[in-house]
Amino acid sequence: MQRFEYLIKRLVLAIVVILSVMVLTFFISRVLPSDPAAAWAGSHPTAEQIAIANQRLGLDQPLHVQFWRYFTSVLQGDLGTSLQTKQPIARDLRTYLPATMELVFCAMLLAVVVGIPLGVLSGAYKGSFFDHLTRLVSISGVSIPTFWLGLLLQLFFFSQLKILPLGSRISTATAINNPVTQLTGFYLIDTAVTGNWAAFKDTLLHLVLPACTLATYPVALAIRMTRSNIIEVLSEKYILAARITGLPRRTILFNLALKNAIIPTITVLGLSFAYSLTGDILIEIIYSWPGLGSYITSAVLAIDFPVIVSVTLFVTVIYVFINLILDLLQAMLDPRVSLE
Amino acid sequence: MTTTTLSAEPAASPPAVPSERQLIWRAFRQDKLAMLGVLVILFFVLTSLFAPLLTPYPAQGAGAPNIIEKFKAPSAEHPLGTDYLGRDVLARIFYGGRSSLTTGFLVVFLAVLIGAPLGAVAGYFGGRVDDVIMRITDVFLSFPPLLLAIAIATALGSGFVNTMIAIAITWWPWYTRLVRAQTVSLRERYFIEAARSIGVPSFKIIATHILPNVLTPVLVQGTMDLGSAILTGAAINFIGLGVQPPQADWGNMISQGRIYFIERPWFAGSAGVAIFLVVLSFNLIGDALRDAADPRTRRGEA
Amino acid sequence: MKRYNLLILLVLAALLLAQCAPAAPAAPAGEQPAAAGDVARKDIFVYAHPTTIPNLDPSTSYSNDLVVMANCYETLTFYNAPGSAETLSPKLAESWESNEDATEWTFKLRQGVKFQDGEPLNAAAVKYSIDKIRELAVGAYYIWDAVDTIEAVDDYTVKFTLTYSSPLDLVASANYAAWIFSPKAYEENGPDWFNEGHCAGTGPYTIDSYERGSRLIMSANEDYWGGWKEGQFKKVVFELIEDPTVTQRMIESGEADFTYQLPADNLEKIKQNPNLVVYQNPAFLNLVGLFNTVKPPLDNKLVRQALSYTFPYDAFMEGVMNDRATQAFGPVPDGMWGHSKDLFQYSYDLEKAKELLTEAGYPDGGFKLLYTFATGDLDEQTAGELWKAELAKLGIEMELQGLSWEAQWDLSKADPAKAQDVFVMYWWPDLISPLSFLKSMYYSEEEPLFNLGYYKNPEFDKLVDEGDVLTGTDREAATEKFVEAQKILVDDAVSVFFYDSANIHVASASVDGYVDNPAYPHVVFVYDLTRK
Repeated sequence: MQRFEYLIKRLVLAIVVILSVMVLTFFISRVLPSDPAAAWAGSHPTAEQIAIANQRLGLDQPLHVQFWRYFTSVLQGDLGTSLQTKQPIARDLRTYLPATMELVFCAMLLAVVVGIPLGVLSGAYKGSFFDHLTRLVSISGVSIPTFWLGLLLQLFFFSQLKILPLGSRISTATAINNPVTQLTGFYLIDTAVTGNWAAFKDTLLHLVLPACTLATYPVALAIRMTRSNIIEVLSEKYILAARITGLPRRTILFNLALKNAIIPTITVLGLSFAYSLTGDILIEIIYSWPGLGSYITSAVLAIDFPVIVSVTLFVTVIYVFINLILDLLQAMLDPRVSLE
Repeated sequence: MTTTTLSAEPAASPPAVPSERQLIWRAFRQDKLAMLGVLVILFFVLTSLFAPLLTPYPAQGAGAPNIIEKFKAPSAEHPLGTDYLGRDVLARIFYGGRSSLTTGFLVVFLAVLIGAPLGAVAGYFGGRVDDVIMRITDVFLSFPPLLLAIAIATALGSGFVNTMIAIAITWWPWYTRLVRAQTVSLRERYFIEAARSIGVPSFKIIATHILPNVLTPVLVQGTMDLGSAILTGAAINFIGLGVQPPQADWGNMISQGRIYFIERPWFAGSAGVAIFLVVLSFNLIGDALRDAADPRTRRGEA
Repeated sequence: MKRYNLLILLVLAALLLAQCAPAAPAAPAGEQPAAAGDVARKDIFVYAHPTTIPNLDPSTSYSNDLVVMANCYETLTFYNAPGSAETLSPKLAESWESNEDATEWTFKLRQGVKFQDGEPLNAAAVKYSIDKIRELAVGAYYIWDAVDTIEAVDDYTVKFTLTYSSPLDLVASANYAAWIFSPKAYEENGPDWFNEGHCAGTGPYTIDSYERGSRLIMSANEDYWGGWKEGQFKKVVFELIEDPTVTQRMIESGEADFTYQLPADNLEKIKQNPNLVVYQNPAFLNLVGLFNTVKPPLDNKLVRQALSYTFPYDAFMEGVMNDRATQAFGPVPDGMWGHSKDLFQYSYDLEKAKELLTEAGYPDGGFKLLYTFATGDLDEQTAGELWKAELAKLGIEMELQGLSWEAQWDLSKADPAKAQDVFVMYWWPDLISPLSFLKSMYYSEEEPLFNLGYYKNPEFDKLVDEGDVLTGTDREAATEKFVEAQKILVDDAVSVFFYDSANIHVASASVDGYVDNPAYPHVVFVYDLTRK
């Protein structure tokens, strides 16, 4: 019962947060010193066109009226129209979201699959050469600017070795001859499900560099966190007791220590999601990846505020939602979490 | 430090017990890598501060173009080559450090300035005040980190100051949380009770007792955050918000150098190396400081 | 135990996935061994396009989408590339005529043309398209402002009645707001349908698929009225890539057949590449710095003239623009009718500048100027940086401020007394006429819109008006008037006329038949090309 109450409480909190986010993003967009109507009207508008645009966008209404319009339309799924392209933003979001999520999930997967085991081993064999090496790699990973790392990797793998493509999700040839059937928008899934193996290979090739670059920070972070968790756990008295009684190291590691490190795994998942989402914007710029990051970047440069506000809102909602799930998972698995 | 002690020892001086601070410092000093980090940071800070004196090309560092010498590869005259306007890259790095480093320091400073007192207030008073403040931090923390900074920076407009404000606005909640947690545990301590019982006003208690005692964890966290602050600042500059040309900043040097990178990697390359070294140093320092501050991980302890 | 299993599962899943990943292929990235039934690379025209294409709706399209639109829609008349004998040639209209004062225009349509949805091209469709464009009032719709009524006299004759004289033959060739599309397709599907990746024009290519922000694929329209020959392209792909690093690699590696907007400093290398051809021709685009003519000291003509002598034109052209531009002769760009190389051209002459400044009462300078430009535009920024350095030599301080276009514009539309001193912007015509340049930027305005130098000269206005009226009836006389008007502007030094842009297009040497046409910037009419 307590768990259920906790769930409800968290849900309500999440909704309150999302509402506040909407208000906040809306008002940020109205703080602008620029003129959305003119931006809408095009490159060389006449005074008349600007007046029409003003009316169309409802900019002549008082602020709270505008917000109400915005709020009600968002609830109906209408996220407004891009000033630059005059296209409905909701449709653009649906197109770009899977591309971004595919990258983000790959990075998260790498963080868990590479980062955690390395962190475990590093912590378990603390002080060894392997540990030092891993620590060096992980601290470098959180210190390097990912957009710069992307450049270096492109230079190396594309220019020098010529084995990986420079950007995009699939090549032109594949798009024409083995086009991907748009089912989920996740190309790995779509191509596998339809048996389109040529496109599957192509997709993987195009995913390697961006996913690895994006995963750098989360993996490094995962290693660091897991390592310090393991060290902390291993130093606890009962582990000591187990060792004294002669249990084999491997048993200790997996059965006792690891179980207690699972909860921090969820924390790692949460953090790697946050940082992947963040770093994704920069990665998409470098690799010409047609996702939300590219979308918001060109909106920023054109000061296309409806887009910036909508993307921020949209991504934040996803972020809140995923964090909610992770928090609930943590609450279910960890008896130490206070359900207050 | 104004920790009031309830018992005053008379004349016979006890053996010198090192204070907490001294212990931390001693442990920190033993970490060779961290000390190396300190040296690297000092190097960059000093070269940025004294840039006009150190480089033979101060005007170029500040932005003056020199078209004839465009795209020169590294040589004796220009150790890191020249950029797309012929400006000496080494000079640009020194001048760029002013922007990048200052952004990092000021962002953390601002975030602490806003966040710490709020956290202290929330932790000390509890109840309604605590709830309100915590809900506000929740809202800010629910944004994916960089995104909110980008949205605010776009609204405020480009520029050095606006970028700092934008990032600081997204960072303060962390410090509020940190300080609040610390305050809650401090609240129950003896000397706070004592001060309250003799009628010291709340804000005075917060200012003179609570804040100084949360200083250490805040400092540690702040140092650890400096690296990330610099990275975030560089990212925002890379996107195109932030410092405007001809002013130099390591982030916008990378974005400007990107299109020439494959043939002429030296200016985007060196800016990236600068960021990497500085952030790495801060992380090493931060790690060592955190290990030193925690008695369990402190070196030199039994 | 459950938590332990979860981890094992994750690890196993990762291993499985790793098994699926193939080894690095031997072929360079991007190439796939062709299977039977694949379209051959030589039959595909790949355009590495460096910006997004915002809007594929022919009734409102107003941007870089032009490159796509020009391949699947057609206009009544066609503006020929410079160097052609005639300015215009027939497209969907076979012939046209007007009355003496150009207030009535009659177009005879080509017969037997079909839209890509099967509907026939007729006068009703033309009327529908243009009426719809005007009704929606977005983008360049105002080029049809003179039109009062459109009448479908018979199936293949369209008559336009105007309220005042206007060169409708020119208007009908415009690159925006002049596409003829199928009324049935528009009515049945609604405007959003176009942006999902569909085309309802009469043109030689139709849209197969469209991945926003990524790629647009077109294939040949079998029933095109112009017919098909051996060697023409079967597919056209637009790779939408905003990163010049990538577009450059694509054209160099042969992955793309055409691109533009490459970093100028990399052009040397590209020109030396035997597999590539660089086309460099004037565009109808120029860069100007409008002086604030109402704010001292720029309200003094002598000061403006002096400043016009301080910009380092040659150094800028050579050092920064290379071949991408030539110094401008006044406000109308090279290649467009109305341009005149007889106009006086200021040069970099600090001595002369000092003389004029002294005459104006500022022998040692001593004033401050604000130069605003668009953030991110390297050329505008560099021009400012170079100019600032020169002005400093005369004791004049110039502050550079990069703003978004909107912010820059806002500042200038507010109070002229508080606005910038130099407003830098690009200008290009919607309608190929000097009017677009002269009227928008220098004609007296009560509320400044684009006349951001706040220039008011009734003599100039009169000449422009006279030229306007003559444009529809006697283009030569109109040209004379416009040149007279430009002389006034140059003498008054209302702006610094930085440069006329050149378009630099890079194409694969294996493609034959490309001709630069600045009236349709960056457009490749793929129908006219063949693979060697």
